[in-house]
Formats: sequence, C-alpha cells, structure tokens
Amino acid sequence: MSSMRLVSGSDRVRPLSSLAAGTHATVHRVQPHGGDRVDRLVALGVTAGAPITVLQTFPGIVFLCDQTELAVERAVADTILVKPAEE
Amino acid sequence: MLRLRARPLRLALVGNPNVGKSVVFGALTGRYATVSNYPGTTVSVTRGRALVGAEVCDLVDTPGVNALSGAISEDERITSQVLERGEADLIIQVADARNIRRALMLTAELATFRKPVIVALNMVDEALARGIVVNAEALSTELGVPVVEMVAIEGRGLQTLRDLLPDATALQVPHLRDAAARAAWAHEVSGRVRTVSALSIARAQEALSRATRSPITGIPILALVLYVMYLFVGVFGAQTLVGFLEQDVFGQHVNQAATWLVDRTLPFAFVHDLLVGQYGLITMGLTYAIAIVLPVVTTFFLLFGFLEDSGYIPRLAVFSDRIFRAMGLNGKAVLPMVLGLGCDTMATMTTRILATPKERLIAILLLALGIPCSAQLATILGILGGVSFGALLTLFGVVLLQMFVVGWLAGRLLRGERSDFIMELPPIRLPKLRNLLTKTRMRVWWYLGEAVPLFLVGTLLLFGLDRLHALDAIAAAGRPIVTGLLGLPPETAQILMMGFLRRDYGAAGLFHLAQSGALTGVQAVVALTVMTLFIPCVANFLMIIKERGAKVAFTLLGVITPIAVFTGAGLHYVFDAFGIRF
Ligand SMILES: Nc1nc2c(ncn2[C@@H]2O[C@H](COP(=O)(O)OP(=O)(O)OP(=O)(O)O)[C@@H](O)[C@H]2O)c(=O)[nH]1
Repeated sequence: MSSMRLVSGSDRVRPLSSLAAGTHATVHRVQPHGGDRVDRLVALGVTAGAPITVLQTFPGIVFLCDQTELAVERAVADTILVKPAEE
Repeated sequence: MLRLRARPLRLALVGNPNVGKSVVFGALTGRYATVSNYPGTTVSVTRGRALVGAEVCDLVDTPGVNALSGAISEDERITSQVLERGEADLIIQVADARNIRRALMLTAELATFRKPVIVALNMVDEALARGIVVNAEALSTELGVPVVEMVAIEGRGLQTLRDLLPDATALQVPHLRDAAARAAWAHEVSGRVRTVSALSIARAQEALSRATRSPITGIPILALVLYVMYLFVGVFGAQTLVGFLEQDVFGQHVNQAATWLVDRTLPFAFVHDLLVGQYGLITMGLTYAIAIVLPVVTTFFLLFGFLEDSGYIPRLAVFSDRIFRAMGLNGKAVLPMVLGLGCDTMATMTTRILATPKERLIAILLLALGIPCSAQLATILGILGGVSFGALLTLFGVVLLQMFVVGWLAGRLLRGERSDFIMELPPIRLPKLRNLLTKTRMRVWWYLGEAVPLFLVGTLLLFGLDRLHALDAIAAAGRPIVTGLLGLPPETAQILMMGFLRRDYGAAGLFHLAQSGALTGVQAVVALTVMTLFIPCVANFLMIIKERGAKVAFTLLGVITPIAVFTGAGLHYVFDAFGIRF
C-alpha cells in the first residue's frame, strides 16, 4: 500500500502545511523521510491521534500539538499528514 | 530500600526539556543549577548531594531528553549514557503535568532500564491555569510507581517527594522497543488520566506568546527589546554606572587611597609602578575589572536573565530560520547565538543542542567570529553610543554581514547535512524575581572569579613587557598592520593583544583609550570591528578545543584572524576614500 493511495483513499487526509491558521486537526501519520525527521517529530509528540491546532503559517509554521507549541519549516510540515476536524 | 551501603545511593533527575529538573535539583541539593525557560539550559550533567531521610545521596541533574534512543542530539546522548552505564540507582522522572503525554513516552523508555522510578508531576499550577487536570492517583496505578504532584518553583510537593523516594519501584508498564508503539501507549494512558477543559485562564500569556512570534508584532517587539537593552546596558550600565565607578569611586577615591597607602608603606618606585602605576594591578587591572566591566556585565546579565526566563529567546528562531538556513544551519541556532552575547564560551557548549556536526561547527565558527560577549557588547554600546547612532549601525551592519558571508560560505563548503527546523517553543512566563537575582548573582560571581585573575595576569604581563621596553617593540611590530592597514593609533596593538587574553579586557582597554580622546569616531568603529571579529578569548579557544578538537580550533583561528584584519582594513579604506566621519 503506497503512501499515494493512502492520501487519495481518504480525501480528508492533508499535509499540515496546507492548513490555514486556526484550523484544528488530528495527526494521521508522519510520512517516512530519509533523515531523522520522523524520530524527532515522534519524540516531540507528533504521533498518530495527537490533536493539533495551527497557530501561524508565516514565516514558519507554528502549531500546538497536544500541549506543546512547535515551530517547523514548511518542508517538515509537508510530511505531517493530518485529518482536519469536522466543522 | 534505604539501608547501609558501601557508596551513596545515586539518584538521577531525568525528564523532557524545560520541565523543571534544575529547579528540583536546586531544591533537593541546595546547590544552584542554571534555571532558564528554554529547552537546552542544561547541556551537561550537574552533580550534587541531597539528604533523603537520614541518608546522603548523590544527585545528578541531566540534560532534558525527548527520547533516549533513535535520532538524539549530543546533549540527549549525555543523559542516555548516564542511564546506560548504570550510573543511576534510582530515577526521578520530572514530568510537566501539561505535557503528560510526552512525559509518558519517555516513561515507557525508562522502563527498559528496570530501575526504581518515582514520577515528579511538576507544573501542576500551569496545567491548572490551562484547564488541564492530571489524576496523580490514577497515573500512579497505571505506572505502578509513586507519583508526586509538585510546583517546584514554589517548593510545593518537595517534602512529599523526599518522603516517597524510598517507595520508588520498577515501572509496571510494557517494555516497548518501537517509538510508535510507545507513543500509542502514551496516548492511551494520558487519555485515561488527564482531563482537558477548554477553560484557560492563561489568556494574557497566550496573547503575548502570539505577539512575539508573528512577524507584524514580533519585529517591533524585537526592536523594542534591543532598544531597551541599549538603554539599560549601553547607557545606564556603560555610561552612568561606569562613569560613577570609574571616575568617582576609583578615580577620586580608591586609586588615590591605594596610591597614598602604597607610597606610605612601601615607598619603592618598583612597587609603586607595579600596584598603582600606568600598568598597575590596582589602577589598571582592578579598575578595568571592577569599574568598567563589572557594571556592564551586571546590567547585561540582569536583562538577559529576564529574557531567558520569559521564554522569549526561542521565539526568535521562527523569524530567523530562513536566514540561518542560508548558512547551513536552522532557526534553532538562534539559541547559541543569542546566548553567545552572554558568554561565547558557554554558548560554544550550548551548540550541543544542534543536530549535526556540520551545524555545530558553523555555529562555533560564527560565535568565535562575530558574536561579542556581554562585556564587549556593552563597551561597544558605551563607546559608540557616545559617538553616534550611525557608528553603531555601521559596526553591527558590518559584523552581521561578515558573519552572513562567512556562514554562507561555510554552509556551502563544509561537507555534511543541515537538519530540519523542528523546535519546541516554551510558554511565555513571567520571570520569577528570585531566580533572576540568584542567576545574576551566580553569573556575576562566576565573572569575578574568571575575569579578575585574568585581568590581573594581563596587567602583570603588560607591566613586565613595559619594564622590558617590549611594548614599544610590539607597537613597532604591529605598526604596519595597526597604523598602516587599519589607520589606528599604535597603542591599539597592545589592546588587541590583551583582547586575546580576554575579549572584555581588550574592550576595557579600548574604552579607556576612547575616553582619553585618543580615538576618532572612525577609528573607534574600525578598532571595535576588528576586536569583535578577532580571535576569541583564551577560554573560548580552550572550549573549542575541548568540544571539537585542536585541529578545528587552530583552523578556525587561521580563518578568523585574516578575516578580522582585512575587514578592518577594508573599512578604513572605504571610510578614507569616501571621507566618511562619525
Ligand atoms: N509555573 C511553573 N514554572 C516552573 C515550575 N518548575 C519550573 N518552572 C519554570 O520552568 C522553567 C524551566 O525550569 P528548569 O529547571 O530550567 O528546567 P529543566 O528541566 O532543568 O530544563 P533543561 O535543562 O532545559 O532541560 C523555568 O522558567 C522555571 O522557572 C513549576 O512548578 N511551575
């Protein structure tokens, strides 16, 4: 099962970088990436099921993950897949 | 489990970054470990003794960790080694009640060490203010170990922690090898023991937190912070206080009294010169250390401590990430850079929080090249503040540009990777006056212990060189560069030499020279630029050797010295060619 199918399979799963400030969502998963990105995000609590709120999208992306405020560059936010909360 | 034993019981404080480990350490041992509001305050272990019941235990404060295995930074590795080598008989996990989910991920990892554990559930006050309640009893049942609710900065819960230490036992949680599995377990358990209501009474903090990280408000706030720093350190510290101490206290009283006393009791010309002459230990060494540098570092440390404890500094990373990325670093590097303004030597150690060797090397290079330390910064503000605002801007512009160019080149030329920018922003907190004063007092003591002896040695060296008529020779040897290339008065040669001993010693010398009217505005800018870019002080140099090895240290020296001289020469040339005056 490729990551492509997963994304298209559920149209509600989107990268964190595509969300506007103020959006609430839940982490779906972090896309595998060569370096230590996944490990570091997981260690900070960015793991499946964690509730997030986007706080700011420029210059970097700042979001609240559970109770931790995290700042990441856009490339990182691209690989964090989330499910926006139902309105 | 407390009984007679051959050696003291060894306790380790372990926890996520910035959860209050150092506060707990200080409370248990009575020793101060630096407390600041940003992850990465503690980058090496601090040891102390704590009295538990009737037993004296060894206590170690470790750097904060988000994980003990997988991709971890150099400071996290220090903690993981303490545990792996079995250097702890008992683990006190300090947890932030707000972030219990992350704490539990770490708990799951601690379980694999099979040591007795006790959980200090700290920051209960802050959690409550945000509508978060963690049921300590339920948590204790889940984990099978004692859980103590605490507000460490107010000392609440400390006695209970002491009392319950003997009850610490091995964690009764699944030993999970995989990080994702640990995360899933932590998610589940935290769901069971925690309730979050939408009610938050921390609105003011949240508003400040937003204002400091979004560009529209954040940049004016940064400008304001810098301006306050200029007023408090550059004007109040470097002009008002220094003026009072140097001219009134030392100039009118101390030095005259000392001269009178020396001449009365030991009426020899040699003694007179040694103690109270031009290069006298009292009239120069002590005067520089106490009257010029002490007031500026004290005012600086006070303001700086305030900024550290407020949680403001890491927020600068959000703005500066792109700039640092151009230099092969990421926004996280703002921490060592800003801390470098306090002391480059300490900041060199803080580069451990950066993820890759390449990043650490570039950060160390930039620190050594362009970041003035507190005393130096203050003398810059003091000297150039008196010249003109344009002079000040020129200096900082040139130094920042130079750092950027060197960083950019280093980012291109050095092999290795840049890591992703992923950074935790601590909450904005109102600094506690007591911690601020303790921290400032510790730093001022440290400064006195570190700087005064070196100032005296430096003065003695100058005195000796002067006696041997070597100062003139040094001035003569330096003349082609100092006077020729840089257009500075010949005495500056000895000041630059002193600057290597300690940057602030050189800065104080320059301050003195500027006060005596021997420097024009343009010369002051050139001299201070060279001094700022110039080789780091001995202490910083030794720290670079310790952290990165002698080869790296000497290579940096070989790179930085010519950069400093050529930049100064370039400035002199440009000022001259365009007839620029300040
Ligand atoms: N509100 C509140 N703040 C606390 C409490 N305990 C510690 N703090 C604050 O939390 C911040 C971090 O405290 P430290 O003791 O430096 O944390 P640390 O875990 O040693 O941090 P690192 O060394 O960076 O891992 C400081 O600003 C403290 O004043 C508490 O119980 N309540």
